[in-house]
Amino acid sequence: MRFLHTADWQLGKPFGRFEPEVRAALGEARFDAIDRIGEVAAAQQVGHVIVAGDIFDTEGPEDRVIVQAVSRMQRYPCRWWLLPGNHDYARNGGLWDRVRHKASDNIILLAEPIAQEMEAGVWLLPAPLLHRHHLDDPTELFDSMETPGAKLRIGLAHGSIRDFTARGETKNQIAPDRAKRSNLDYLALGDWHGTLKVEPRTWYAGTPETDGFQRDEPGHALIVELAPGVEPKVEPVRTGRFQWLLRDWTLQDSAAFSAECDVLLSAIDPAATLLRLSLAGITGLADRVEILSRLEEDLRHRLRYLDVRADDLVGRPGEQDLADLKVEGLLGIAAEKLTETIAAGGTEAILARRAIERLFVEYHRGSQA
Amino acid sequence: MSLQLRRISLNNFRKFREPLTIEGLGEGLNIIIEPNESGKSTILEALRAAFFVRHATKNQLAQSFAPYGEAVAPEIEVSFNIGADSWKIAKRFLKSPQVEVTGPQGRAQGEEAENRLQALLGFVKDSSQRGDPATYGALGLLWVPQAQALEVTAPGSIVRSSIQATLEAEVGTIVGGAAYERVQKRIDEQYDIYWTPTGKAQSKGRWQAARDRDQQARQAAADATMRLDALEKSFGELEAASGRLKVIERELADETEQEQRAGLVQALDVAKAAAQILETRKAEHENVSANLDRIEDLQAQHEAAREALRVAGESLTAITADREQLASQLKAGRTKVAEAKAALDKARDDRAAARQALSEGEERLAKRQRHAAITDARQRHTKLLDLEKQLADARNQAAQVIPAETLARLDANDRAIAEARAAVNAGATTIELTGDATGITIGGEPLTPNSPRTLTGETQIALGGGILVIRPPATAASAEASLAELLERQALELAEWNVVDLVAARTRNDTARDAQGTVQLLETKITALTPAQPLLDLAAGPDALKLFVAGVPTESPASDEDEISIDLLTRSVEEAETAAVRAETLYDQAVQDLREIEDRDRPLAAEQAGAERDQSHASDRITQIERKPDFAGLADAIAKAREDAAQAAVKLAEATRDATAHDVQAINRKIETIDSRARAGQIRRSDLEKDIARLEAIIESEGGKGLASLAAAAAEEADAATQALARLDEEAATIKLLKDVLDEARGEASRTFVGPVAQRARVHVERLFPGADLSFDEELGLASVTRSGLSEACGTLSKGTQEQLAVLTRLAFADMLLEQGLPVSLILDDPLVYSDDGRLDLMTEILEEASQRMQVILLTCRDRAFRHLSANRVQL
Repeated sequence: MRFLHTADWQLGKPFGRFEPEVRAALGEARFDAIDRIGEVAAAQQVGHVIVAGDIFDTEGPEDRVIVQAVSRMQRYPCRWWLLPGNHDYARNGGLWDRVRHKASDNIILLAEPIAQEMEAGVWLLPAPLLHRHHLDDPTELFDSMETPGAKLRIGLAHGSIRDFTARGETKNQIAPDRAKRSNLDYLALGDWHGTLKVEPRTWYAGTPETDGFQRDEPGHALIVELAPGVEPKVEPVRTGRFQWLLRDWTLQDSAAFSAECDVLLSAIDPAATLLRLSLAGITGLADRVEILSRLEEDLRHRLRYLDVRADDLVGRPGEQDLADLKVEGLLGIAAEKLTETIAAGGTEAILARRAIERLFVEYHRGSQA
Repeated sequence: MSLQLRRISLNNFRKFREPLTIEGLGEGLNIIIEPNESGKSTILEALRAAFFVRHATKNQLAQSFAPYGEAVAPEIEVSFNIGADSWKIAKRFLKSPQVEVTGPQGRAQGEEAENRLQALLGFVKDSSQRGDPATYGALGLLWVPQAQALEVTAPGSIVRSSIQATLEAEVGTIVGGAAYERVQKRIDEQYDIYWTPTGKAQSKGRWQAARDRDQQARQAAADATMRLDALEKSFGELEAASGRLKVIERELADETEQEQRAGLVQALDVAKAAAQILETRKAEHENVSANLDRIEDLQAQHEAAREALRVAGESLTAITADREQLASQLKAGRTKVAEAKAALDKARDDRAAARQALSEGEERLAKRQRHAAITDARQRHTKLLDLEKQLADARNQAAQVIPAETLARLDANDRAIAEARAAVNAGATTIELTGDATGITIGGEPLTPNSPRTLTGETQIALGGGILVIRPPATAASAEASLAELLERQALELAEWNVVDLVAARTRNDTARDAQGTVQLLETKITALTPAQPLLDLAAGPDALKLFVAGVPTESPASDEDEISIDLLTRSVEEAETAAVRAETLYDQAVQDLREIEDRDRPLAAEQAGAERDQSHASDRITQIERKPDFAGLADAIAKAREDAAQAAVKLAEATRDATAHDVQAINRKIETIDSRARAGQIRRSDLEKDIARLEAIIESEGGKGLASLAAAAAEEADAATQALARLDEEAATIKLLKDVLDEARGEASRTFVGPVAQRARVHVERLFPGADLSFDEELGLASVTRSGLSEACGTLSKGTQEQLAVLTRLAFADMLLEQGLPVSLILDDPLVYSDDGRLDLMTEILEEASQRMQVILLTCRDRAFRHLSANRVQL
């Protein structure tokens, strides 16, 4: 018995912090992930895709989002088993009623905690979320579910494992040994956006299309092969298009920056890369200006998206910088004044640091022109 | 090094339509003293034209060089020395414009000549229409036209940059130059994007756009959240309603209530039966009780009637005894009353008789008195008649009186007659015959002898046959006539009053007056004689008396001669009265006594009647009762009825106990409670179902709008907008800080390099205003003067002071330029016009000193003011 385990599609996620074109691309990529999963299922000849919650980003998405999701799933012959998660929890008159109106036969909505026989002797035990937050373990209901003649019992749930509360995203806590307790052959979990093996029979599939700067990995789905009495074979398949990279570079000069840049660019597909870059270190002012201008004028345009945090990259005017300005008379005086303000510290110092940087930028811009 | 003008020559330049040449200008102080309107200012203008105005220009300034109304070519030639070099400019404007500059390097023409001049004197091409002194460089500042001398002008940028070398040499490299200008320009541009010139945030542009975006995004996010919240509320309400519906349906489905109700209905039947029995028992009990009551009542009535009969009998006996006693008293009383009545009647009769006697006596007495009165009246009547006769006579006599005026007239007449007679006598002829008078007639009448006769008229006396005529004078005749007339009148008057003569008249009047007195006396007497007589109803006065007497029949005098005693009669009446009163009192007493006895008897009689009636009633009642069929065997009947009543009471008590145990109303209430609870549940269920349908409709319509994702998107957009705005805020703040710092730096630098200028100026100013301190602005313009610690802005100083300061600062600049090695000369057109004598002396002294270092040309109309100076004086 083989099936695809995926979760956290977060369809309709707004990405409102991004520019409109980035926003559109990211939004579209989430729908595309469905196609990619469908394609993988077809290629791998897998009949079932079970989705462990958070198919939709909100409980009240636009109709377009629902129609897009449903119509894409309809394209593939496999059956889609959809579990409501905390973002798209099931309630009367809510999202899933709307989906049901538009869904086709190959989409099964698991809005109630009732075991479903996927194939002969293969039972799926769903633990749908009926509220955004459950204080109880939703998987406790597994024990009361009837699975007559079960050869395989597959649990499907959405929530965090008690063990990593610090990293969990919701309050819907699931016993980490649920698979053993409820005699499951496999527990398919959602909520955690990275692929994670909790124990051999308990997995988080992660999101098929990454949606935040949390980890470098692109999105994956899991191909799971089950047989009675044997540990499952789980194989991640890449489904994600975009890579969301977090980078912290500590720099001393622009040369170091260039080296880092080269390393990064050699490893990525820039058009499919979103980068949040935090710069730290102390450089000369001229170096800092150069680094920033390279970021703004080159790297930003290569990448799909660039978010630079350069506050920790301190551009300290060096002897040479100040000497350069000093010959310019008034500019030298101004630079001196700003340097004094920076030395004095306080909120004014932050502003003054930017101002002096700006002064150098403008000074150099003119001299290059 | 000084620029020394040597010779200036102009033709067709403004007012100089004829050629004019100024020669002999020396290297020190030159004074050109000419009256007003002689063209001094034009000379300065021409100098500027020669040096700074391009020959080929046709701008307004150049056009103004031609004399008014003439189309000629203005020409200027200037020869001058710079250091040891000799220079010459020849310029012609407008028509066939040309320029030729001759210098140490030789001769140049046209553009090259102009460029050579620019290089030599450090000015720039002027492209303005009216001429811009700022482009003239140092000489533009130092060649001061008339009006401008008043202004404390800041040097133009050319001058500033010219003296920069000097300044930099002194204060070091301080000005940023091109790099600074460039950076500042760019920062200013960016500043303008964010800030207004007054340092306020720009209300348009990208910053405002970001603010607007932020605002709108927040608003949109708030709106979206609100709508989403509304939807979520509907969800919440739906859930709550569904929950409640479940509870209610469970309650409605619960059968316990229905079972309870069935039990109650059963109990209700039992209770109803018990109530029925109770009603029956109550009726039976009432019936038996009523029978018992009725029989007992009958017995009681019988006993009561017998008792009443007995009481009435006793009472009647007692009353009868009392009345018998009273009957004798009544009889005695009545006898006594009859006796008293008889006595009373007699006394009354006596009294009436006495009253009658008195009345008759009084009547007789009156009659007698009247008779006497009538007799008296008759006597007086007789007297009256006599008196009235006398009175009539007296009145007649009195009426004979002649009025006084008549008497006076008679008297007067009589006197007149006497007078008339005398008159006659005087005129008359008196004849008297003596002897025999027979046959003698006079007037036909025999003449009487011895009786004189008086003749008053012609009188014929027949004497025998003859007739003697005697004719008395005429007067006698008229007197005779007058006398006759008087006598006639007198006679008439006397006849009228029926008197003979005057004496008789007087006598008659005396008699009449006496009769008048007699009339009064008689009237008094008559009045006294006829008083009123009340007894006879007679009024006073003679007429009444006469009337009375005429009306009274003659009666016989009263016959009884007895004395009538009224007193006696009166006393009899009083005695009879007293007797009658006593009889009345006695009678009243007797009647009173009888009435008392009767009063005592009357209630007894009533009681007796009542007792008799009671007795009769009681007997009737007894008969009536005894005649009733129940009366026979009454005692047995009572005993039986009592037994029945006791049994009924016991049954009633039992029935009451049963009925209380099964209270119909209480059971009904319980059933009603159950029923209404069920009804309310159904209504509630129906309401909830409606509510749910409504909420589901809302959710269905609102849910499809994707409110949650819209809200999430709006929230993220709001965050993004806020961040974008924060970035711009930061940018704006940075730019502002940078601009401020740059401005500050420039200000400081300016102050630094203004120092040397101020220092030089101060050398001069110190002499004019000891202790004064000058402060210059960044443009090297004189900003203010500080004297004795008080700072005054330049514009507020007096005109004289301003002009002096203007000259002195120019001198300071000239000095600096001179140190720079630039060609310098100072031309002042009509300077120091506002200066007082003391300051003028000082100023001329300073200028004289300056002329040691450079050529100074003063153009003035005031000979005297500058006469004392040892200078080169030039005539036009």
